[in-house]
Amino acid sequence: MNQIGPIFRALLRNKVGALLLALQIALTMTIIVNAIHMIENRSSMMARESGMDEANQFHLMYVGYKDSFNERVAVETDLLEIRKLNGVVDATQINSTPLSGGGWSMGLTTTPNSQDGTPVSLYFVDDHGLNTLGVELVAGENFSPTEVTYRLSNDKQWPQNILLTEAAAKNLFPDLTPAEIIGQTVFIRDDEPMTIKGIIDHLQAPWVQWSNVNNVMLVPQRGLWNANRYLVRTEPGERDRLMREVEELLLAKRDGRLIRNVTAMDEQRDDAYQDFFALQTVLWVIVTVLTLVTALGIVGMVSFTVNQRRKQIGTRRALGATKGDIMRQFMLENLLITSSGLIIGVASSIALNIWLVDTFSLPRIGWHYLPIAMVVLVIVGQLAVLGPARKAANLSPALATRTT
Amino acid sequence: MLKMTSVRKTFRTDTIETHALRNFDLQVEEGDFVAVTGPSGSGKTTFLNVAGLLETFDEGDYQLDGKSVQGMNDRQLAQLRNEKIGFIFQSFNLLPDLNLFDNVDVPLRYRGFNSAERKQRIEQALETVGLANRMGHYPAQLSGGQQQRVAIARALAGSPRFLLADEPTGNLDSNMASGVLDLLSEINAQGTTIIMVTHDPSLAQRAQRNIFVRDGQVTEVQTGTNIQELLQQTAQV
Repeated sequence: MNQIGPIFRALLRNKVGALLLALQIALTMTIIVNAIHMIENRSSMMARESGMDEANQFHLMYVGYKDSFNERVAVETDLLEIRKLNGVVDATQINSTPLSGGGWSMGLTTTPNSQDGTPVSLYFVDDHGLNTLGVELVAGENFSPTEVTYRLSNDKQWPQNILLTEAAAKNLFPDLTPAEIIGQTVFIRDDEPMTIKGIIDHLQAPWVQWSNVNNVMLVPQRGLWNANRYLVRTEPGERDRLMREVEELLLAKRDGRLIRNVTAMDEQRDDAYQDFFALQTVLWVIVTVLTLVTALGIVGMVSFTVNQRRKQIGTRRALGATKGDIMRQFMLENLLITSSGLIIGVASSIALNIWLVDTFSLPRIGWHYLPIAMVVLVIVGQLAVLGPARKAANLSPALATRTT
Repeated sequence: MLKMTSVRKTFRTDTIETHALRNFDLQVEEGDFVAVTGPSGSGKTTFLNVAGLLETFDEGDYQLDGKSVQGMNDRQLAQLRNEKIGFIFQSFNLLPDLNLFDNVDVPLRYRGFNSAERKQRIEQALETVGLANRMGHYPAQLSGGQQQRVAIARALAGSPRFLLADEPTGNLDSNMASGVLDLLSEINAQGTTIIMVTHDPSLAQRAQRNIFVRDGQVTEVQTGTNIQELLQQTAQV
């Protein structure tokens, strides 16, 4: 390490090459840090639980196309028959599901005509909703069968009782415990009051990128709409069989409807996060290619330098440098250039992250990314310089007396 | 203190074998000032490289300070070069991105001296060559003669037993060459052994001993011998 002073001073005499390499390292660090931050951010989003028993659930859509198709009779008989199937835990009609990407949201307030609403996603379910979804009550009660009503497309009325996820309830009443929240009134559509009958532990809204994804309201209604959806929960290992059986059961009725999109929940999870996965793959490719390009840049630059300095290396060897001294010299030189690049890189990584946070509402990078990226890039730099440095170390000291 | 016995060095390519040194015998005593002359391609530089441990040899024995260098590993050879030998090159071989202080410092850092000792040695060496006031200058800011003086300071700073000089005045005009030679003579007078390879018969005549190398073999000639004539004879042969 006692060579560091002269190496540093010599680098200052040849700023351009060193500066360009340092800037490349800074750029690499900036992109790598933010790309890995985005990858990790997407991974943590993908790892979030929907709140459902996804491995044992599926849903399907049906659309009545004949005038004779009676939606109300269909939903009542269908659900009774599905629930009786061997291996079915429970079933409910539901307007949407977590991870589906399409649904309904409203704003709730604690005072009528208030401007500050808490956004919630709505799932219309019956009294079998909780068991079918696989969610737990934290406080209060489930809907009773008698309070489940039917809802037409143009209905404006809202039922008296609702259930909320704990996250939504906490947003509305941050100072109350779940038990204290039970019986509280919230307002929908500015001034329509509803009573919180129960609080469930966790359930996601349909939109995975929604900032209020954990705010969900369950409404005790069945829909009488053109297209409806059943959610079915099965015993473990029975889902795939029951996906076929339920579809066949409904088709066998020949009552003028189409069955569509019989989808397992874990398949839906894959679809929901397909864009995330694609983005992660692209970012990994960018990180890998950029790291390789930087490493190759270092190899190229050091190889060029070694060729340029053959006589100098021979002279150093003649003056008593061991092979190890020569290797250390190039590795130290690279360490100094890399370190300057990394110092610039820390500043530019933070600057880029601030821009990403402001522009795309990404979370701030964790401080730990910076030292990790620095260590990785130092290792990459040192590995890249190893080959050319070894080549330099093996140059003959006799080069000192040669004219070229 | 430097003894070569039957040293052979052959350079080989796929098709050609060049015998650079054959049965090369030479003994240099402490305090000698030896000039090595000879026509181009005679083996002078190969001798210097072998003597300076810059190149290995194929056969024979080479003893430096009573120790055979044969079989020494790279680290041991580097240490010997660093501690016992000072080099002066025809084209000075100063490191262009280091100032004079740092240039003279190079071998001292490899030696592992502490910074106070290095500073003292560097200042003293630059003082000896008359450049103590230009320590912060870079080689490109100096004349050729001054650069060669820095190279001499660098060679002297580690207090070597030998100075090996390869055409030390080859790139200098006659005034500068004379100055450099005066300096080498002074250094020799203080006890440092000098072996100088040169083409210039007039410079060779200022050494105590003259060695003439021809076809890789050595002939000791009397100081004062007309080396120019020897060179011409060799060229005619």
